[in-house]
Amino acid sequence: MSYLVIEGLHKKYGQSTVLSNINMEIEKGEFITLLGPSGCGKSTILRIVAGLTDASAGKIAIEGKDMYGVQPKDRQVGMVFQSYALFPNMTVQENVAFGLRMQKVHSVDLEQRVQEMLALVHLSEKAHAYPKELSGGQQQRVALARALIVRPKVLLLDEPLSALDAQIRKKLQTDLRAIQRKLSMTMILVTHDQEEAMAVSDRIFVMNNGSIAQSGTPTEIYTRPENEFIANFIGHYNVFTRQDLEQMLGEPLSEQYSKFAIRPEALHFDKKNNDMCLTGKAKQSLMSGNIIRTTFEGETLFTMEQLHQQGYTIEMGKTYKCYVAKEDVIALS
Amino acid sequence: MKKRGLADLFFLLLVGYLILPVLATMLYAFASKWNKTILPEGLTLKWLSTLFQDTEFIQAFGRSVFLAGGAVSIALLVIVPAIFVIVLYFPKYEKWIQMAVVMVYSFPGIILAVGLIRVYSQIGIPMIFVVLGAYVVGILPYIYQGTRNSLRNIDARQLLDAAQLLGASKRQAFTKILLPTVYPGLFAGALLSFSVLFGEFVLINLVVGSRFETVQIYLMKKLSTSGHIASAVVFIYIVLMGLLTFVIAIVTKRSKGATNL
Repeated sequence: MSYLVIEGLHKKYGQSTVLSNINMEIEKGEFITLLGPSGCGKSTILRIVAGLTDASAGKIAIEGKDMYGVQPKDRQVGMVFQSYALFPNMTVQENVAFGLRMQKVHSVDLEQRVQEMLALVHLSEKAHAYPKELSGGQQQRVALARALIVRPKVLLLDEPLSALDAQIRKKLQTDLRAIQRKLSMTMILVTHDQEEAMAVSDRIFVMNNGSIAQSGTPTEIYTRPENEFIANFIGHYNVFTRQDLEQMLGEPLSEQYSKFAIRPEALHFDKKNNDMCLTGKAKQSLMSGNIIRTTFEGETLFTMEQLHQQGYTIEMGKTYKCYVAKEDVIALS
Repeated sequence: MKKRGLADLFFLLLVGYLILPVLATMLYAFASKWNKTILPEGLTLKWLSTLFQDTEFIQAFGRSVFLAGGAVSIALLVIVPAIFVIVLYFPKYEKWIQMAVVMVYSFPGIILAVGLIRVYSQIGIPMIFVVLGAYVVGILPYIYQGTRNSLRNIDARQLLDAAQLLGASKRQAFTKILLPTVYPGLFAGALLSFSVLFGEFVLINLVVGSRFETVQIYLMKKLSTSGHIASAVVFIYIVLMGLLTFVIAIVTKRSKGATNL
Protein backbone atom coordinates (compact mmCIF):
# COMPACT_ATOMS: atom_id res chain seq x y z
CA MET A 1 0.00 0.00 0.00
CA SER A 2 1.26 3.50 -0.82
CA TYR A 3 2.46 5.91 1.89
CA LEU A 4 -0.23 8.48 1.21
CA VAL A 5 -3.47 7.45 -0.43
CA ILE A 6 -6.18 9.81 -1.60
CA GLU A 7 -9.23 7.92 -2.75
CA GLY A 8 -12.40 9.19 -4.41
CA LEU A 9 -12.03 12.68 -2.94
CA HIS A 10 -14.93 15.05 -3.56
CA LYS A 11 -15.47 18.56 -2.26
CA LYS A 12 -18.52 20.75 -2.73
CA TYR A 13 -19.24 24.27 -1.50
CA GLY A 14 -23.01 24.56 -1.72
CA GLN A 15 -23.90 23.62 -5.27
CA SER A 16 -20.42 24.27 -6.59
CA THR A 17 -18.12 21.26 -7.04
CA VAL A 18 -14.52 22.11 -6.23
CA LEU A 19 -13.01 18.62 -6.35
CA SER A 20 -14.32 15.66 -8.25
CA ASN A 21 -13.12 12.08 -7.78
CA ILE A 22 -9.46 12.76 -6.93
CA ASN A 23 -7.35 9.61 -6.65
CA MET A 24 -3.64 9.70 -5.84
CA GLU A 25 -1.12 7.23 -4.53
CA ILE A 26 2.13 8.73 -3.26
CA GLU A 27 5.16 6.78 -2.12
CA LYS A 28 7.39 7.63 0.84
CA GLY A 29 10.09 10.17 -0.05
CA GLU A 30 8.40 11.25 -3.29
CA PHE A 31 8.23 14.88 -4.35
CA ILE A 32 4.81 15.37 -5.89
CA THR A 33 3.51 18.53 -7.52
CA LEU A 34 -0.11 19.51 -8.02
CA LEU A 35 0.01 21.79 -11.04
CA GLY A 36 -2.87 23.75 -12.45
CA PRO A 37 -4.37 27.17 -13.05
CA SER A 38 -5.77 29.25 -10.19
CA GLY A 39 -9.05 27.95 -8.80
CA CYS A 40 -8.62 24.38 -10.05
CA GLY A 41 -8.81 22.96 -6.51
CA LYS A 42 -5.18 22.08 -5.86
CA SER A 43 -4.90 24.05 -2.60
CA THR A 44 -8.18 22.51 -1.42
CA ILE A 45 -6.58 19.06 -1.71
CA LEU A 46 -3.73 20.23 0.53
CA ARG A 47 -6.14 21.66 3.10
CA ILE A 48 -8.12 18.42 3.15
CA VAL A 49 -4.94 16.34 3.58
CA ALA A 50 -3.92 18.69 6.44
CA GLY A 51 -7.36 18.39 8.05
CA LEU A 52 -8.05 22.12 7.78
CA THR A 53 -10.99 21.53 5.44
CA ASP A 54 -13.43 18.62 5.49
CA ALA A 55 -13.97 16.57 2.36
CA SER A 56 -17.52 16.03 1.10
CA ALA A 57 -16.63 12.43 0.29
CA GLY A 58 -13.56 10.25 -0.10
CA LYS A 59 -10.74 8.93 1.99
CA ILE A 60 -7.26 10.06 3.00
CA ALA A 61 -4.83 7.56 4.52
CA ILE A 62 -1.27 8.15 5.67
CA GLU A 63 0.83 5.07 6.35
CA GLY A 64 -2.35 3.03 6.12
CA LYS A 65 -4.13 5.04 8.82
CA ASP A 66 -7.45 6.59 7.84
CA MET A 67 -7.31 10.32 8.63
CA TYR A 68 -11.09 10.72 8.99
CA GLY A 69 -11.81 12.63 12.20
CA VAL A 70 -8.11 13.11 13.05
CA GLN A 71 -7.43 16.69 14.18
CA PRO A 72 -4.84 18.73 12.20
CA LYS A 73 -2.52 18.81 15.23
CA ASP A 74 -2.51 15.01 15.40
CA ARG A 75 -1.97 14.26 11.70
CA GLN A 76 1.79 14.81 11.65
CA VAL A 77 1.35 16.79 8.46
CA GLY A 78 3.37 19.96 8.00
CA MET A 79 2.44 22.87 5.80
CA VAL A 80 4.25 25.88 4.31
CA PHE A 81 1.93 28.67 3.25
CA GLN A 82 2.23 31.12 0.37
CA SER A 83 2.11 34.07 2.78
CA TYR A 84 4.60 32.30 5.12
CA ALA A 85 2.25 32.57 8.15
CA LEU A 86 5.17 33.21 10.48
CA PHE A 87 4.19 34.17 14.00
CA PRO A 88 4.93 37.92 14.13
CA ASN A 89 5.30 37.98 17.90
CA MET A 90 8.17 35.47 17.86
CA THR A 91 11.77 35.56 16.68
CA VAL A 92 13.04 33.23 13.97
CA GLN A 93 14.33 30.86 16.63
CA GLU A 94 11.04 30.89 18.52
CA ASN A 95 9.07 30.32 15.33
CA VAL A 96 11.19 27.30 14.45
CA ALA A 97 11.01 25.95 18.01
CA PHE A 98 7.22 26.35 18.28
CA GLY A 99 6.32 22.86 17.03
CA LEU A 100 8.86 21.23 19.36
CA ARG A 101 7.53 23.23 22.30
CA MET A 102 4.04 21.94 21.54
CA GLN A 103 5.51 18.43 21.59
CA LYS A 104 7.17 19.28 24.94
CA VAL A 105 10.61 18.31 23.65
CA HIS A 106 13.34 18.68 26.30
CA SER A 107 15.04 22.07 26.13
CA VAL A 108 18.55 20.68 25.42
CA ASP A 109 17.30 18.57 22.51
CA LEU A 110 15.09 21.43 21.36
CA GLU A 111 17.97 23.89 21.28
CA GLN A 112 20.15 21.49 19.30
CA ARG A 113 17.45 20.67 16.75
CA VAL A 114 16.61 24.34 16.24
CA GLN A 115 20.27 25.17 15.61
CA GLU A 116 20.59 22.26 13.15
CA MET A 117 17.46 23.31 11.30
CA LEU A 118 18.53 26.95 11.10
CA ALA A 119 21.88 25.82 9.72
CA LEU A 120 20.09 23.64 7.14
CA VAL A 121 18.21 26.67 5.80
CA HIS A 122 21.26 28.96 6.20
CA LEU A 123 19.63 31.26 8.74
CA SER A 124 21.71 30.72 11.87
CA GLU A 125 22.76 34.35 11.98
CA LYS A 126 19.12 35.50 11.86
CA ALA A 127 18.02 33.41 14.85
CA HIS A 128 17.06 36.43 16.94
CA ALA A 129 15.48 38.50 14.18
CA TYR A 130 11.73 39.00 13.94
CA PRO A 131 9.90 37.94 10.75
CA LYS A 132 9.32 41.52 9.60
CA GLU A 133 13.07 42.11 9.68
CA LEU A 134 13.64 39.40 7.04
CA SER A 135 13.35 39.38 3.25
CA GLY A 136 10.64 37.30 1.55
CA GLY A 137 13.09 34.52 0.72
CA GLN A 138 14.40 34.41 4.29
CA GLN A 139 10.87 34.34 5.68
CA GLN A 140 10.00 31.43 3.44
CA ARG A 141 13.09 29.55 4.61
CA VAL A 142 11.99 30.10 8.23
CA ALA A 143 8.56 28.77 7.34
CA LEU A 144 10.19 25.71 5.78
CA ALA A 145 12.43 25.15 8.81
CA ARG A 146 9.47 25.52 11.17
CA ALA A 147 7.51 22.90 9.24
CA LEU A 148 10.45 20.50 8.83
CA ILE A 149 11.65 20.50 12.43
CA VAL A 150 8.70 18.49 13.73
CA ARG A 151 9.59 15.78 11.18
CA PRO A 152 6.14 15.54 9.60
CA LYS A 153 5.16 12.43 7.69
CA VAL A 154 4.08 14.58 4.77
CA LEU A 155 5.05 18.19 4.07
CA LEU A 156 2.55 20.26 2.11
CA LEU A 157 3.80 23.32 0.24
CA ASP A 158 1.04 25.71 -0.84
CA GLU A 159 2.59 27.89 -3.56
CA PRO A 160 5.47 28.71 -1.20
CA LEU A 161 7.62 30.45 -3.80
CA SER A 162 5.08 32.37 -5.83
CA ALA A 163 5.47 35.63 -3.91
CA LEU A 164 9.23 35.73 -4.49
CA ASP A 165 11.14 37.24 -7.38
CA ALA A 166 12.43 34.96 -10.15
CA GLN A 167 16.06 34.74 -9.03
CA ILE A 168 15.29 33.88 -5.41
CA ARG A 169 12.55 31.50 -6.54
CA LYS A 170 14.99 29.51 -8.67
CA LYS A 171 17.52 29.37 -5.82
CA LEU A 172 14.87 28.20 -3.36
CA GLN A 173 13.61 25.58 -5.83
CA THR A 174 17.09 24.06 -5.84
CA ASP A 175 17.37 24.33 -2.04
CA LEU A 176 13.94 22.79 -1.57
CA ARG A 177 14.75 19.80 -3.75
CA ALA A 178 18.13 19.32 -2.04
CA ILE A 179 16.55 19.41 1.43
CA GLN A 180 13.80 17.01 0.34
CA ARG A 181 16.38 14.54 -0.97
CA LYS A 182 18.57 14.92 2.13
CA LEU A 183 15.68 14.25 4.52
CA SER A 184 13.89 11.75 2.19
CA MET A 185 10.68 13.54 3.06
CA THR A 186 7.37 13.10 1.26
CA MET A 187 6.39 16.48 -0.10
CA ILE A 188 3.41 17.76 -2.05
CA LEU A 189 3.90 21.09 -3.76
CA VAL A 190 1.09 23.19 -5.16
CA THR A 191 2.01 25.56 -7.96
CA HIS A 192 0.68 27.10 -11.13
CA ASP A 193 4.20 27.49 -12.51
CA GLN A 194 4.95 24.59 -14.87
CA GLU A 195 8.68 25.35 -14.94
CA GLU A 196 8.81 25.08 -11.16
CA ALA A 197 6.87 21.81 -11.29
CA MET A 198 9.23 20.39 -13.91
CA ALA A 199 12.30 21.50 -11.96
CA VAL A 200 11.56 19.91 -8.60
CA SER A 201 9.11 17.04 -8.99
CA ASP A 202 9.36 13.27 -9.15
CA ARG A 203 5.79 13.20 -10.42
CA ILE A 204 3.30 15.85 -11.45
CA PHE A 205 -0.49 15.77 -11.20
CA VAL A 206 -1.91 18.35 -13.59
CA MET A 207 -5.31 19.56 -12.45
CA ASN A 208 -8.14 21.25 -14.29
CA ASN A 209 -11.60 22.18 -13.00
CA GLY A 210 -11.35 20.12 -9.84
CA SER A 211 -10.10 16.90 -11.37
CA ILE A 212 -6.78 15.40 -12.38
CA ALA A 213 -6.21 15.93 -16.09
CA GLN A 214 -2.98 13.92 -16.31
CA SER A 215 -0.27 12.55 -14.06
CA GLY A 216 3.24 11.34 -14.70
CA THR A 217 6.91 12.22 -14.50
CA PRO A 218 7.88 15.69 -15.73
CA THR A 219 9.23 14.15 -18.95
CA GLU A 220 6.03 12.18 -19.56
CA ILE A 221 3.85 15.20 -18.92
CA TYR A 222 5.95 17.43 -21.17
CA THR A 223 6.56 15.09 -24.07
CA ARG A 224 3.23 13.23 -24.09
CA PRO A 225 0.38 15.58 -23.22
CA GLU A 226 -2.84 13.60 -23.29
CA ASN A 227 -5.25 16.38 -24.16
CA GLU A 228 -5.49 19.92 -25.41
CA PHE A 229 -5.61 21.44 -21.92
CA ILE A 230 -2.29 19.84 -20.96
CA ALA A 231 -0.70 20.77 -24.29
CA ASN A 232 -1.72 24.40 -23.83
CA PHE A 233 -0.87 24.56 -20.14
CA ILE A 234 2.56 22.93 -20.38
CA GLY A 235 4.99 24.93 -22.51
CA HIS A 236 3.93 26.61 -25.73
CA TYR A 237 2.59 23.65 -27.68
CA ASN A 238 1.19 24.22 -31.19
CA VAL A 239 -2.27 22.67 -31.18
CA PHE A 240 -3.89 21.94 -34.58
CA THR A 241 -7.18 20.46 -35.69
CA ARG A 242 -6.70 17.32 -37.78
CA GLN A 243 -8.07 19.05 -40.91
CA ASP A 244 -5.71 22.04 -40.61
CA LEU A 245 -2.66 19.88 -39.98
CA GLU A 246 -3.54 17.48 -42.82
CA GLN A 247 -3.75 20.42 -45.22
CA MET A 248 -0.45 21.85 -44.00
CA LEU A 249 1.38 18.53 -44.10
CA GLY A 250 -0.30 17.37 -47.29
CA GLU A 251 -0.82 13.88 -45.92
CA PRO A 252 -3.59 12.12 -43.96
CA LEU A 253 -3.47 11.66 -40.17
CA SER A 254 -5.21 9.15 -37.93
CA GLU A 255 -8.97 9.75 -38.05
CA GLN A 256 -9.19 8.50 -34.50
CA TYR A 257 -8.06 11.89 -33.20
CA SER A 258 -9.44 15.34 -33.85
CA LYS A 259 -6.52 17.36 -32.51
CA PHE A 260 -2.74 17.14 -32.69
CA ALA A 261 0.08 18.95 -30.92
CA ILE A 262 3.67 19.75 -31.86
CA ARG A 263 6.26 21.10 -29.44
CA PRO A 264 7.70 24.38 -30.82
CA GLU A 265 11.27 23.18 -30.30
CA ALA A 266 10.52 19.98 -32.27
CA LEU A 267 10.28 22.11 -35.43
CA HIS A 268 13.49 22.76 -37.36
CA PHE A 269 14.68 23.97 -40.76
CA ASP A 270 16.91 20.99 -41.66
CA LYS A 271 15.06 18.10 -43.30
CA LYS A 272 15.80 14.67 -41.91
CA ASN A 273 14.54 11.28 -43.10
CA ASN A 274 10.75 10.84 -42.94
CA ASP A 275 10.25 14.33 -41.51
CA MET A 276 6.92 15.99 -42.14
CA CYS A 277 6.88 19.53 -43.52
CA LEU A 278 4.90 22.61 -42.45
CA THR A 279 5.08 25.66 -44.65
CA GLY A 280 4.42 29.13 -43.30
CA LYS A 281 5.23 32.80 -43.70
CA ALA A 282 7.30 34.30 -40.87
CA LYS A 283 5.10 36.81 -39.01
CA GLN A 284 6.85 37.66 -35.76
CA SER A 285 10.05 36.83 -33.98
CA LEU A 286 10.65 37.29 -30.24
CA MET A 287 13.80 36.65 -28.33
CA SER A 288 13.38 35.15 -24.89
CA GLY A 289 16.80 34.68 -23.33
CA ASN A 290 18.70 32.22 -25.45
CA ILE A 291 15.54 31.14 -27.33
CA ILE A 292 14.13 32.73 -30.48
CA ARG A 293 10.41 32.16 -30.75
CA THR A 294 9.10 32.70 -34.28
CA THR A 295 5.46 32.67 -35.30
CA PHE A 296 4.60 31.42 -38.81
CA GLU A 297 1.34 31.71 -40.69
CA GLY A 298 0.26 28.66 -42.66
CA GLU A 299 -3.29 27.28 -42.69
CA THR A 300 -3.13 28.35 -39.10
CA LEU A 301 -0.53 30.07 -36.93
CA PHE A 302 2.24 27.96 -35.44
CA THR A 303 5.37 28.71 -33.42
CA MET A 304 8.91 27.44 -33.67
CA GLU A 305 11.53 27.78 -30.94
CA GLN A 306 15.22 27.65 -31.80
CA LEU A 307 18.33 28.24 -29.75
CA HIS A 308 19.76 31.65 -30.50
CA GLN A 309 22.89 31.39 -32.64
CA GLN A 310 25.08 34.12 -34.04
CA GLY A 311 24.26 34.99 -37.65
CA TYR A 312 20.94 33.18 -37.38
CA THR A 313 18.17 35.42 -38.80
CA ILE A 314 14.65 34.87 -40.03
CA GLU A 315 13.31 37.39 -42.50
CA MET A 316 9.80 38.53 -41.70
CA GLY A 317 7.32 38.00 -44.57
CA LYS A 318 9.42 35.28 -46.16
CA THR A 319 7.98 31.75 -46.52
CA TYR A 320 9.86 28.95 -44.76
CA LYS A 321 9.62 25.18 -44.66
CA CYS A 322 9.68 23.82 -41.12
CA TYR A 323 10.22 20.11 -40.53
CA VAL A 324 9.05 17.85 -37.73
CA ALA A 325 9.69 14.17 -37.01
CA LYS A 326 6.60 11.97 -37.28
CA GLU A 327 6.90 10.81 -33.68
CA ASP A 328 6.80 14.46 -32.53
CA VAL A 329 3.30 14.94 -33.91
CA ILE A 330 1.29 14.05 -30.82
CA ALA A 331 -2.34 12.95 -31.08
CA LEU A 332 -4.55 14.47 -28.37
CA SER A 333 -7.53 12.67 -26.92
CA MET B 1 9.16 82.48 3.75
CA LYS B 2 6.28 84.86 4.36
CA LYS B 3 3.76 82.06 3.95
CA ARG B 4 5.76 79.88 6.29
CA GLY B 5 5.85 82.63 8.94
CA LEU B 6 2.09 83.08 8.67
CA ALA B 7 1.52 79.34 8.99
CA ASP B 8 3.74 79.23 12.10
CA LEU B 9 1.84 82.15 13.62
CA PHE B 10 -1.53 80.44 13.08
CA PHE B 11 -0.12 77.24 14.49
CA LEU B 12 1.08 79.02 17.64
CA LEU B 13 -2.28 80.78 18.01
CA LEU B 14 -4.08 77.45 17.73
CA VAL B 15 -1.77 75.76 20.23
CA GLY B 16 -2.20 78.70 22.59
CA TYR B 17 -6.00 78.59 22.21
CA LEU B 18 -6.00 74.89 23.09
CA ILE B 19 -3.31 74.83 25.75
CA LEU B 20 -3.89 78.08 27.68
CA PRO B 21 -7.18 77.09 29.37
CA VAL B 22 -5.65 73.76 30.41
CA LEU B 23 -2.48 75.42 31.70
CA ALA B 24 -4.49 78.06 33.52
CA THR B 25 -6.68 75.44 35.18
CA MET B 26 -3.63 73.40 36.20
CA LEU B 27 -1.91 76.49 37.52
CA TYR B 28 -5.03 77.46 39.49
CA ALA B 29 -4.81 74.07 41.23
CA PHE B 30 -1.44 75.17 42.65
CA ALA B 31 -2.18 78.87 43.15
CA SER B 32 -2.35 80.09 46.74
CA LYS B 33 -4.01 83.29 45.56
CA TRP B 34 -4.78 84.43 42.02
CA ASN B 35 -7.21 87.31 41.82
CA LYS B 36 -5.79 90.54 40.42
CA THR B 37 -2.48 89.44 38.91
CA ILE B 38 -1.52 87.91 35.55
CA LEU B 39 0.27 85.03 37.24
CA PRO B 40 -0.52 83.49 40.64
CA GLU B 41 0.75 85.41 43.64
CA GLY B 42 2.10 82.19 45.16
CA LEU B 43 2.15 78.43 44.68
CA THR B 44 0.91 75.78 47.11
CA LEU B 45 0.13 72.07 47.33
CA LYS B 46 -2.69 72.83 49.76
CA TRP B 47 -5.53 72.12 47.32
CA LEU B 48 -4.11 68.83 46.16
CA SER B 49 -3.42 67.85 49.73
CA THR B 50 -6.95 68.79 50.78
CA LEU B 51 -8.32 66.77 47.89
CA PHE B 52 -6.42 63.63 48.80
CA GLN B 53 -7.50 63.98 52.42
CA ASP B 54 -11.13 64.16 51.36
CA THR B 55 -12.56 60.64 51.64
CA GLU B 56 -15.46 61.73 49.47
CA PHE B 57 -13.02 62.32 46.58
CA ILE B 58 -11.16 59.07 47.18
CA GLN B 59 -14.46 57.18 47.14
CA ALA B 60 -15.59 59.02 44.01
CA PHE B 61 -12.29 58.19 42.34
CA GLY B 62 -12.71 54.53 43.34
CA ARG B 63 -16.25 54.47 41.95
CA SER B 64 -15.10 55.93 38.63
CA VAL B 65 -12.32 53.36 38.40
CA PHE B 66 -14.78 50.59 39.30
CA LEU B 67 -17.33 51.72 36.69
CA ALA B 68 -14.87 52.35 33.85
CA GLY B 69 -12.66 49.38 34.68
CA GLY B 70 -15.64 47.07 35.18
CA ALA B 71 -17.21 48.05 31.86
CA VAL B 72 -13.90 47.62 30.00
CA SER B 73 -13.27 44.23 31.66
CA ILE B 74 -16.74 42.96 30.75
CA ALA B 75 -16.30 44.25 27.18
CA LEU B 76 -12.95 42.46 26.87
CA LEU B 77 -14.43 39.22 28.15
CA VAL B 78 -17.63 39.31 26.13
CA ILE B 79 -17.16 41.49 23.07
CA VAL B 80 -13.60 40.58 22.08
CA PRO B 81 -14.15 36.80 21.77
CA ALA B 82 -17.34 37.54 19.82
CA ILE B 83 -15.43 39.80 17.42
CA PHE B 84 -12.73 37.15 16.96
CA VAL B 85 -15.24 34.42 16.18
CA ILE B 86 -17.23 36.61 13.79
CA VAL B 87 -14.20 38.02 11.94
CA LEU B 88 -12.43 34.66 11.64
CA TYR B 89 -15.25 32.21 11.12
CA PHE B 90 -18.44 34.12 10.22
CA PRO B 91 -17.27 37.24 8.34
CA LYS B 92 -20.68 37.67 6.72
CA TYR B 93 -22.08 38.68 10.13
CA GLU B 94 -19.51 41.43 10.58
CA LYS B 95 -21.81 43.98 8.98
CA TRP B 96 -24.13 43.61 11.99
CA ILE B 97 -21.33 44.61 14.35
CA GLN B 98 -20.49 47.55 12.14
CA MET B 99 -24.16 48.58 12.25
CA ALA B 100 -24.16 48.30 16.05
CA VAL B 101 -21.01 50.45 16.18
CA VAL B 102 -22.72 53.22 14.21
CA MET B 103 -25.87 52.99 16.34
CA VAL B 104 -23.82 53.60 19.50
CA TYR B 105 -22.87 57.02 18.11
CA SER B 106 -26.41 57.82 16.99
CA PHE B 107 -27.98 57.87 20.48
CA PRO B 108 -27.67 61.24 22.28
CA GLY B 109 -26.87 60.80 26.00
CA ILE B 110 -30.10 62.45 27.15
CA ILE B 111 -32.28 60.11 25.08
CA LEU B 112 -30.27 57.10 26.21
CA ALA B 113 -30.65 58.16 29.87
CA VAL B 114 -34.41 58.68 29.60
CA GLY B 115 -34.79 55.40 27.76
CA LEU B 116 -32.80 53.48 30.37
CA ILE B 117 -34.76 55.02 33.24
CA ARG B 118 -38.12 54.26 31.62
CA VAL B 119 -37.24 50.67 30.75
CA TYR B 120 -35.24 49.57 33.79
CA SER B 121 -36.38 51.69 36.77
CA GLN B 122 -39.46 49.54 37.39
CA ILE B 123 -37.75 46.19 36.94
CA GLY B 124 -35.75 46.28 40.15
CA ILE B 125 -32.25 46.06 38.70
CA PRO B 126 -29.95 48.55 40.49
CA MET B 127 -29.58 51.43 38.08
CA ILE B 128 -25.82 51.50 38.52
CA PHE B 129 -25.66 48.08 36.84
CA VAL B 130 -27.88 49.42 34.06
CA VAL B 131 -25.34 52.23 33.53
CA LEU B 132 -22.55 49.66 33.63
CA GLY B 133 -24.34 47.67 30.91
CA ALA B 134 -24.83 50.82 28.84
CA TYR B 135 -21.12 51.61 29.24
CA VAL B 136 -20.19 48.13 27.97
CA VAL B 137 -22.24 48.74 24.83
CA GLY B 138 -20.99 52.34 24.61
CA ILE B 139 -17.36 51.31 24.25
CA LEU B 140 -18.12 48.75 21.52
CA PRO B 141 -16.72 51.08 18.80
CA TYR B 142 -13.33 51.44 20.53
CA ILE B 143 -12.99 47.76 21.36
CA TYR B 144 -14.19 46.70 17.90
CA GLN B 145 -11.85 49.05 16.05
CA GLY B 146 -8.88 48.12 18.23
CA THR B 147 -9.42 44.41 17.67
CA ARG B 148 -10.38 44.70 14.00
CA ASN B 149 -7.40 46.87 13.08
CA SER B 150 -5.04 44.42 14.73
CA LEU B 151 -6.63 41.52 12.89
CA ARG B 152 -6.50 43.40 9.59
CA ASN B 153 -2.70 43.51 9.70
CA ILE B 154 -2.34 39.74 9.94
CA ASP B 155 -3.84 36.69 8.27
CA ALA B 156 -5.27 35.44 11.54
CA ARG B 157 -6.94 32.37 10.07
CA GLN B 158 -3.70 31.20 8.48
CA LEU B 159 -1.74 31.81 11.69
CA LEU B 160 -4.24 29.64 13.56
CA ASP B 161 -3.96 26.94 10.86
CA ALA B 162 -0.15 27.05 11.00
CA ALA B 163 -0.14 26.77 14.80
CA GLN B 164 -2.54 23.83 14.75
CA LEU B 165 -0.48 21.99 12.15
CA LEU B 166 2.53 22.41 14.45
CA GLY B 167 0.68 20.58 17.20
CA ALA B 168 -1.15 23.39 19.01
CA SER B 169 -4.75 23.00 20.12
CA LYS B 170 -7.21 25.71 19.09
CA ARG B 171 -6.95 27.23 22.57
CA GLN B 172 -3.15 27.20 22.47
CA ALA B 173 -3.14 28.71 18.98
CA PHE B 174 -5.42 31.49 20.24
CA THR B 175 -3.55 32.25 23.47
CA LYS B 176 0.03 31.78 22.24
CA ILE B 177 -0.22 33.28 18.76
CA LEU B 178 -3.32 35.32 18.09
CA LEU B 179 -3.75 37.09 21.40
CA PRO B 180 -0.11 38.28 21.73
CA THR B 181 -0.23 39.43 18.11
CA VAL B 182 -3.35 41.56 18.48
CA TYR B 183 -2.66 42.51 22.11
CA PRO B 184 -1.22 46.01 21.45
CA GLY B 185 -4.30 47.11 19.48
CA LEU B 186 -6.58 45.53 22.01
CA PHE B 187 -4.78 47.15 24.93
CA ALA B 188 -4.85 50.56 23.26
CA GLY B 189 -8.61 50.15 22.62
CA ALA B 190 -9.16 49.16 26.24
CA LEU B 191 -7.23 52.15 27.61
CA LEU B 192 -9.03 54.50 25.25
CA SER B 193 -12.36 53.08 26.41
CA PHE B 194 -11.31 53.46 30.04
CA SER B 195 -10.39 57.10 29.58
CA VAL B 196 -13.66 57.86 27.76
CA LEU B 197 -15.73 56.19 30.48
CA PHE B 198 -13.71 57.78 33.29
CA GLY B 199 -14.72 61.19 31.96
CA GLU B 200 -18.36 60.27 31.28
CA PHE B 201 -20.81 62.56 33.07
CA VAL B 202 -24.16 62.79 31.27
CA LEU B 203 -25.42 59.23 31.68
CA ILE B 204 -24.24 58.64 35.24
CA ASN B 205 -25.56 62.02 36.39
CA LEU B 206 -28.99 61.62 34.78
CA VAL B 207 -29.58 57.97 35.61
CA VAL B 208 -27.98 57.61 39.07
CA GLY B 209 -26.92 61.12 40.10
CA SER B 210 -25.44 61.71 43.56
CA ARG B 211 -26.47 58.25 44.74
CA PHE B 212 -23.28 56.98 43.09
CA GLU B 213 -20.90 59.88 43.09
CA THR B 214 -18.12 59.55 40.50
CA VAL B 215 -15.20 61.92 39.96
CA GLN B 216 -17.15 63.88 37.38
CA ILE B 217 -20.14 64.37 39.69
CA TYR B 218 -17.77 65.29 42.53
CA LEU B 219 -16.13 67.83 40.21
CA MET B 220 -19.52 69.30 39.32
CA LYS B 221 -20.32 69.70 43.03
CA LYS B 222 -16.97 71.32 43.80
CA LEU B 223 -17.29 73.86 40.99
CA SER B 224 -19.81 75.80 43.07
CA THR B 225 -17.81 75.63 46.31
CA SER B 226 -14.09 75.91 45.50
CA GLY B 227 -12.51 76.73 42.18
CA HIS B 228 -9.10 75.65 43.50
CA ILE B 229 -10.36 72.18 44.51
CA ALA B 230 -12.20 71.82 41.19
CA SER B 231 -8.99 72.75 39.38
CA ALA B 232 -7.10 70.19 41.47
CA VAL B 233 -9.62 67.53 40.38
CA VAL B 234 -9.14 68.55 36.76
CA PHE B 235 -5.36 68.45 37.25
CA ILE B 236 -5.53 64.88 38.56
CA TYR B 237 -7.83 63.92 35.71
CA ILE B 238 -5.44 65.41 33.13
CA VAL B 239 -2.45 63.66 34.71
CA LEU B 240 -4.33 60.35 34.63
CA MET B 241 -5.33 60.82 30.99
CA GLY B 242 -1.76 61.84 30.16
CA LEU B 243 -0.48 58.65 31.74
CA LEU B 244 -2.99 56.57 29.81
CA THR B 245 -2.04 58.31 26.56
CA PHE B 246 1.63 57.70 27.31
CA VAL B 247 0.99 54.00 27.90
CA ILE B 248 -1.07 53.78 24.68
CA ALA B 249 1.78 55.44 22.76
CA ILE B 250 4.32 53.01 24.23
CA VAL B 251 2.17 49.99 23.46
CA THR B 252 1.40 51.18 19.93
CA LYS B 253 5.10 51.77 19.34
CA ARG B 254 5.90 48.27 20.55
CA SER B 255 3.33 46.86 18.14
CA LYS B 256 5.21 48.47 15.24
CA GLY B 257 8.26 46.46 16.21
CA ALA B 258 7.78 42.99 17.46
CA THR B 259 6.57 41.94 20.86
CA ASN B 260 8.07 39.01 22.60
CA LEU B 261 5.94 36.44 24.36
